[in-house]
Amino acid sequence: MNSLLTIFLGMALINNFVLTKFLGLCPFFGVSKKISNAVSMGAAVTLVMVIASSATGIIYNYILVPYKVQFMDIIIYILVIAALVQIVEIIIRRTNITLYNALGIYLPLITTNCAVLGVTLINAQNNFTLVEGIISALGGGIGFTLMIIIMSAIREKNELADTPRSMRGLPIAFIIAAFLSLAFMGFNGLL
Amino acid sequence: MENLEEKLSGKKFWQELVKGILVTNPVFVLVLGLCPTLAVTTSVNNALGMGAGVIFVLLCSNAIISLIRKVTPNMVRIPVFIVVIASFVTVLSLLFEAYIPPLYESLGIYLPLIVVNCIILGRAEVFASKNSVLLSIADGIGSGIGFTLALVLISFLREVLGTGSLVIFGRQLFSIPVLSASPLSIFIMPPGAFIIIALLMAFFRLVGVLKYE
Amino acid sequence: MAGRGNKKIGARIMDGKFYPVIFLAVIVFVAVILLMFVSKITEEKILEQREAKIVAQLKNIFTDMDKYELKDDIYIITKNNETIGYTFIAKGRGYGGEISTLVGLDTDLSIRQIAVISNTETPGLGTRITLTAFTDQFKGLKSADVVLSKNGGKVDAITGATISSTAVTDSVKKELEKKLEIIKKNNY
Repeated sequence: MNSLLTIFLGMALINNFVLTKFLGLCPFFGVSKKISNAVSMGAAVTLVMVIASSATGIIYNYILVPYKVQFMDIIIYILVIAALVQIVEIIIRRTNITLYNALGIYLPLITTNCAVLGVTLINAQNNFTLVEGIISALGGGIGFTLMIIIMSAIREKNELADTPRSMRGLPIAFIIAAFLSLAFMGFNGLL
Repeated sequence: MENLEEKLSGKKFWQELVKGILVTNPVFVLVLGLCPTLAVTTSVNNALGMGAGVIFVLLCSNAIISLIRKVTPNMVRIPVFIVVIASFVTVLSLLFEAYIPPLYESLGIYLPLIVVNCIILGRAEVFASKNSVLLSIADGIGSGIGFTLALVLISFLREVLGTGSLVIFGRQLFSIPVLSASPLSIFIMPPGAFIIIALLMAFFRLVGVLKYE
Repeated sequence: MAGRGNKKIGARIMDGKFYPVIFLAVIVFVAVILLMFVSKITEEKILEQREAKIVAQLKNIFTDMDKYELKDDIYIITKNNETIGYTFIAKGRGYGGEISTLVGLDTDLSIRQIAVISNTETPGLGTRITLTAFTDQFKGLKSADVVLSKNGGKVDAITGATISSTAVTDSVKKELEKKLEIIKKNNY
């Protein structure tokens, strides 16, 4: 139990996916302009991460390693993720059309979200068991969601500020991320 | 028809190549491939390694995808692109692991993450699936070089400011005494990466290379 | 003439209902073949590289080693056909993932030196477990001493990196005790 908590906190805060590992940046900067979108995006990404890590965890531990075909990992993982995102897309379109429209193109783009493939690779790299892998994905996803919500809250406020012309849009967003990253480095001595 | 295409592709080849470097620079203009850009630019060494890898994958995948573009059914084109790209990334990963182990280790998970680098899928979808093999190769090389240049620029700044010296392939190129004694190590760390890219974007806008938002 | 005929057949195949699935399957098949091929030809070189890396790491601890033999996951280090020490790898779960530590033993079965060979700890903090300031503490220790000083042992944890320090210490102690039994039993 202790080590599961360590894995969770490690992925969520100390080695935060967005600010430390640089995974999931494209949607992080693309969707973080409105808080409501940010929450939906974070939830969707977390969901895909958890399911993907379960599926790939099983494939890695019970197929790739025993049969020594680890070199197939990249192709298999990304195809699993692509299929998953398709399924999630269909489910969201059928149950909540407003959410579907709000997420727009960023929904299929979850396939190319470094965070999703990243967590499956991290789990394999660390030889996590199935359960550890799921906890790690949960931690990473929640960490990502936390960051994207904080980011969008700040950016919403920042819209009202008088930003120099050359810094408007992405550059100032990067600076905000820099400060967030600095602040989160404070978690390093936590455990 | 064929002869005309061939005559044109001579000049068009270089046009496409240069276009990828400047006009549609993947990092600063299209803002694609952010993840590896920030993660891998802690040293110029890593940036060059990553850049070379991306050029290889872009070249190969663009070529193949262009080659099969006329027989690829629209419905499964994205999965097909993904399989092609993933295959070449795996090949690259195996080659690096076998022949350049230090680079393989310092790139870590960002090597396989080339698969989801939006640049590669983007060029496949936007260009390679609609143009001839030769032009697609040119576009691949151009975008790859553009990506590499951006990476090298960012990593140069981060490494020099963050460690005070520049080390490539194990040889120290130069060292700035004041900086090496007390380097601004923030630039080697995550916050520094964000700051450098923000300032570079703002700078490019100021000098007119990039458009304002 | 023949070209135009082929086109018609080709177009008909492409309009088939199952064509997209078959096409994708063919692509995957070709990809697998390509990868099996490349994997096979690089297999040897990759194993070579991993071997060279291990030898380099072993030489780090036993600078004048000749050869080594791997028995029961223990590297028996020899020089001039005489055993000069033993080495094994201890693995533990740290902060960011698995930490691998190479532990070298002298012939009197006390720790000669340890080296953290892989970790994904927090840069600048947890990664300090790789520095000699931390690892040198293990030199000459016997199994009972391989405990954090706050728990009565002789290893001072790194401030702010308790988990990383504990992971190394605990994994080294656990593996040491296991390997000592094997060494004694088989009289290596």
